[in-house]
Amino acid sequence: MVRVNILLAGIGGQGLMTAGRIIAEAGVYSNVKVLVAETHGLSQRGGAINVHVRIGDVNSPLIPLGKADYLVGLEATEVLRNLSYANKNTEIVINAYVNRPPLPKIRPLPLDKILEKLKGLKVHVINAEEIAIKAGNPLAANAAILGYLYSLGAFPGIKEESFLKALRTESNIKAFKMAQSIVKVKTL
Amino acid sequence: MIQLASQKHVLLGNEAIAYGALTAGVGIATSYPGTPASEILETLEKHNIYTEWSVNEKVAFETAYGAAMMGAFALTSMKHVGLNVAADPLMSSSYTGVDGAFVIVTADDPSMWSSQNEQDNRFYGLHALIPVLEPYDPQSAYQLIIEAFKLSDRVKHPVLFRTTTRVSHTRGPVELQPPSKPVLGKLIKNSKKYVLVPENARRNRIEQLKRWERIKEEVEKLNELVDNGSKDLIIASGSAYGYVIDALKEFDIKANILRLSTPVPVPKKLLIEAVSKANRVLIVEEGEPVVEYQVKDILYDEGIRVELHGKDLISRAGEMTPEKVYYAFSKFFGIDIITDYLQVPQDTPPRPPTFCPGCPHRSSFYDLKKAVIMASLRLDDVFFSGDIGCYTLGLSPPFEEIDSTTNMGSSIGLANGVYRATQKIPIAIIGDSTFFHAGLPALANAVYYKTPMLVFVLDNRTTAMTGEQPSPSKKIEIGDVAKGLGVKYVKYIDPFDVNNSIKVLSEALKWVKENKEPAVVIAKRACALLVTRSLRGHELPKAVVDLNRCTGCSICYDYFSCPAIIPRPDKKAEIDPLTCIGCGACVPICPFKAISIKGEKPEKWDELWLG
Repeated sequence: MVRVNILLAGIGGQGLMTAGRIIAEAGVYSNVKVLVAETHGLSQRGGAINVHVRIGDVNSPLIPLGKADYLVGLEATEVLRNLSYANKNTEIVINAYVNRPPLPKIRPLPLDKILEKLKGLKVHVINAEEIAIKAGNPLAANAAILGYLYSLGAFPGIKEESFLKALRTESNIKAFKMAQSIVKVKTL
Repeated sequence: MIQLASQKHVLLGNEAIAYGALTAGVGIATSYPGTPASEILETLEKHNIYTEWSVNEKVAFETAYGAAMMGAFALTSMKHVGLNVAADPLMSSSYTGVDGAFVIVTADDPSMWSSQNEQDNRFYGLHALIPVLEPYDPQSAYQLIIEAFKLSDRVKHPVLFRTTTRVSHTRGPVELQPPSKPVLGKLIKNSKKYVLVPENARRNRIEQLKRWERIKEEVEKLNELVDNGSKDLIIASGSAYGYVIDALKEFDIKANILRLSTPVPVPKKLLIEAVSKANRVLIVEEGEPVVEYQVKDILYDEGIRVELHGKDLISRAGEMTPEKVYYAFSKFFGIDIITDYLQVPQDTPPRPPTFCPGCPHRSSFYDLKKAVIMASLRLDDVFFSGDIGCYTLGLSPPFEEIDSTTNMGSSIGLANGVYRATQKIPIAIIGDSTFFHAGLPALANAVYYKTPMLVFVLDNRTTAMTGEQPSPSKKIEIGDVAKGLGVKYVKYIDPFDVNNSIKVLSEALKWVKENKEPAVVIAKRACALLVTRSLRGHELPKAVVDLNRCTGCSICYDYFSCPAIIPRPDKKAEIDPLTCIGCGACVPICPFKAISIKGEKPEKWDELWLG
């Protein structure tokens, strides 16, 4: 049976857990098993978090190191922090957004420096916020990312109509659909 | 609330536990919030049974225990360290047993994602002679909690249900059955059973041991031996089971599997049957060697010698991971397991958790630091005794105003000892929920013994860190409580009112020094998440920076460090309008008056923050 591992990385409050829940719900509607391991509690408060999404023939919640088929960063720096889940063939999807950690004197890595470190890997950069705003809701960025992943074939067996049902709101659905039509694979 | 149909539902492990309890007929449920346990009661409180967030875990335990004495089906849930707080009644409950059914959920936190330790509460089962049931995913959690109620009802004995973070906080498909009628009790007076004076307790002890023998028989059928015709046996407990079967598939290995749903007590007959078919045994369990100790004990008594591995191949530290199982398999099965993975760049900037935009704690720590200096004290000569809550983050730069945090209520408790050893006046920093949970006895102690300390209560009107569960502070004024306990110096501040807060706090420090007894200052302002949640859908005001006034001094982003304030390349500050909630905390921080608030305050704005 197929098994797909998707690691969602980002910052507490960005809607990663919502994204994970949407995938799991869409899975149930299409009768595909999905396990989602979330981060709760203190770590959520603006800190780095990740959500493990495993689809198909899976019984344990954590993705083994190097076994992510997709590594998704809702914030670009967080892709670097979770790089040990990826291998050379992992599809890396990056939201073109860098957030400065609110620590004294810290210097964030700009996006071009982050992309430089990912040279030779399969990297996709998308501007999820822009899509979300076009769809009518800046908070629909995670729905845009899901739409893009869907068009890459990241969710085997899960039907589009299941996603549309799980996405619930009009702006989410719009962002999901718009992101599917953007140009694919920008391998650096 | 979920509409029950034949279809599967996507549930968190904790939600599955709640739904299972409803199917089993739970009538009373109690908890104190704590990660990773909180969602159990959050789910139950949406249903038509009696639930409460008790003031601490001991009270939660006793409330459920008392209900079970009266014949109710009762559940209490808490994080692992919460069970330490409830350990006194836990031990007694095993002596008395109950008349109804009593299930105690302990949600352990291996890897300490949101905890001070990773203690393995299966040991409480061995210690208290209470059986421990352990699921491995949301579906098994749903089914097993039903079995926990059945077992408790049959044997009239408490049952521990142990989950860990990756079961509690994993979302997966669960097939549900409808809820049963909640089982409540009737008045039962049975002093010979429930009054633990020596005469009764000695008799109960004998009864307890008899029940334990029966429990050993009862648990046999809750476990499963999967016989694949192999001479290698893997014993997997709880969350380890999922990792084991995934790794067996991954590397195409055949082995017999003993799946343990009851790590305490280990089912003796099934174990002997499983081991008698095997030449070699590998025990895979998260945490401590709780199963391993029992297995070695049973095999010794039975005169069975077999090659056995467990914690020699799997670390006790940290949660179960695929990598731990891979390592154990590579040694046990003698196979090469090499996984290729990329390295995290060393210069990836850190991103620790931080105070939210609008968090009153940020202002409180800012004010306190200035007050200490104003009271002519040196920051490196004052001990900041911290406690458990979001405010533990005051440890981090730029504040660095937490020197210890060990357990609930430790701020005031440890401060007593710090003063006695050093004669230096400590500052105890404690949240409102924690104050009621375990701060009260320590404060009474400080009053009685006249221990000089400043108790700084950060009352944000809720139990914030675990998801804004209610706090007694909404109905019981902390200032009144402190006065009632005999504290002579009690004052309130609004931490956003920076100048006044600094003045009051520094005066309080001076008062403690002169009067040599405790003072209490309460910073009262609501958690920003609580406020913004009530205003969802409303447009919020925003802070703006007047770039003509901003000098780029960096105080607002480097010494106050609100995530919404961002340095520009020219070092001047700008506000991220998507992150800013318009709270105004940063306005008095700017020495050049460059920050102001634009936009209308929503209705009830001040009431939400200060009510």
